[in-house]
Amino acid sequence: MNVEICIIKERCKGCGICVEVCQTDVLELSDELNSQGYRTPRVKSAEECLNCGMCEMFCADFAIWVMTKAEEVGA
Amino acid sequence: MIRSSIERYHPADSFLHADSFPSVWCQGCGIGTAVYAFIEAVKEENISPKKIGVVSGIGCTGKVSECLKLKTYSVIDGNVVDYAVQLKKKDQDLTVAVFLNNADFLLSGAKDFIEAGKRGANLIIIYVNNFICVISENKVFPITPFMRMSIDNEFELPFNIPHLAKSCGASYVARWTPIHAGWMKYSLIEAISKKGYSMIEVISPCLIYDGNDGRIQDAVDRMKFYNDNSVMKNEEPTENLDLRSQNKVIIGKFVDFE
Repeated sequence: MNVEICIIKERCKGCGICVEVCQTDVLELSDELNSQGYRTPRVKSAEECLNCGMCEMFCADFAIWVMTKAEEVGA
Repeated sequence: MIRSSIERYHPADSFLHADSFPSVWCQGCGIGTAVYAFIEAVKEENISPKKIGVVSGIGCTGKVSECLKLKTYSVIDGNVVDYAVQLKKKDQDLTVAVFLNNADFLLSGAKDFIEAGKRGANLIIIYVNNFICVISENKVFPITPFMRMSIDNEFELPFNIPHLAKSCGASYVARWTPIHAGWMKYSLIEAISKKGYSMIEVISPCLIYDGNDGRIQDAVDRMKFYNDNSVMKNEEPTENLDLRSQNKVIIGKFVDFE
């Protein structure tokens, strides 16, 4: 899929719901901490994303969303 | 938070104050999901942001009016529904949504809720029910589920809010949990386009107080608990909808007429 997963790490509270609801295991919790001290998610395998929008729907802090990339000419 | 550090914006960011994030809600709280569903419903209906009024009261649910970039009003405890009725009277084109919690509703604002329903005010009531009124601490509160532990050990049947709303004359009554955010979104779309009094109850996990009692502190476990213990029954008679801690939570759309 031609998608990009965007995460604003400063908004994240590290609840792990986005990791749990993802059906194809695209996300995982990393050891990287943000300025509040929460473990933020990171993208493990972006090519398996189906663009279902579940992570965006369940994130209560508006920190993660999926964007379709603009199609490159001749790519 | 420094705005220049964000390269791209969330699709809902045109409705949100970016400075109010990270929000005050706990990890895994249901209020954020309710706000997301509300924004998505407003986007779907193509309403101008100047034509939406949001009224909220005190507590965690009162912080909704701080983070939304709409016509928002934060009023004192108990006057929330009354204020929304006055707002709707002043400008008939306005779509007015009300975010209620237990303290605004059952503690002091129940009379306004009943009266507005009886007169058929054109409001959307989003009642965030987290089984908690912090003012009552560990004592029994009208919404405490039957047979749940409390400090004074008095068991009483909880208040049946959808039945109350139906008997007040609500034309749309539904109940969802944050796990059913997609259904919540479509329910809000139906409620916005409906003329009349519509109430949507959102059963939200409160991880601080509810977690102490149910011994589930983790956000993901709490979400799984609601997923396992809810059963969807559309058009169930509203007499059967009271919350007991041994039974499953019945969700769905119960009342829908013009």
